Amino acid sequence: MRRLLHLPHSTQHSQTSDVLPLIENVLNEMAEADDWPVTLTMRANLILEELMLNTLTHGDTSGLTEINLDLESESHALTIHVTDDGSPFNPLTDAPEPDLTLPLSERPIGGLGVYLVRTMGEEIEYRREDNRNHLKLVVRPES
Amino acid sequence: MKFSHERSGDTLVVNASGRVDGSNASDFLDSLQGTFDPGDQRIILNLSSLEYISSAGLRVLLMAAQNLDKQEKSLSVCSMTEAVGDVFRISGFDQIIDVFPSVEDAKQG
Repeated sequence: MRRLLHLPHSTQHSQTSDVLPLIENVLNEMAEADDWPVTLTMRANLILEELMLNTLTHGDTSGLTEINLDLESESHALTIHVTDDGSPFNPLTDAPEPDLTLPLSERPIGGLGVYLVRTMGEEIEYRREDNRNHLKLVVRPES
Repeated sequence: MKFSHERSGDTLVVNASGRVDGSNASDFLDSLQGTFDPGDQRIILNLSSLEYISSAGLRVLLMAAQNLDKQEKSLSVCSMTEAVGDVFRISGFDQIIDVFPSVEDAKQG
């Protein structure tokens, strides 16, 4: 099953509270159609939420006018291809690795989102082309 | 997202259900901390009906755990679904927050 989502962005529209339910609905539909294991549905939701939050709320969003999502599910693997015209952001290199060995009292609040994308996503490819971020990754259920 | 809670002695069990994502994580923290009484020493968060948690949800859970830790109180979680447990494990949260298979196990600590 394949789904394409076009999310136009302006200061009045496409806030995270609008985008997240939209993504949830599409993923639920795909999960039902292709009989996804629960950990795949969870991972797909989580990765897309982190990516959308990053694009919509972090850094300079003044130039952002649209986000395009291409989602393709086959044999319990979801391929996600995101393009946006926001400021350059490479999730592979542009966010620090969190230290997961720190005790409770020393754990910094936040900084996990991109780490979860890198950990749960496979075959991650990023390129900046034509003033757009192109990110492609594959999500599979817990192995 | 919905909350209910029951208290016995100094132990508070909070049942959280639904989804915690970037759009409601701060409400989640307010609702969770709103159930706490000064006399509660042990908070057990029952996540059996929690369908989804993202890093925004983990973030507020960490804030709650750290606040309780500072007051020398404890937060543990129990009854996580497979999918929520997967996120917990990958984030290393199972290393800093005690995880139990059931409410009864958590009470026995």
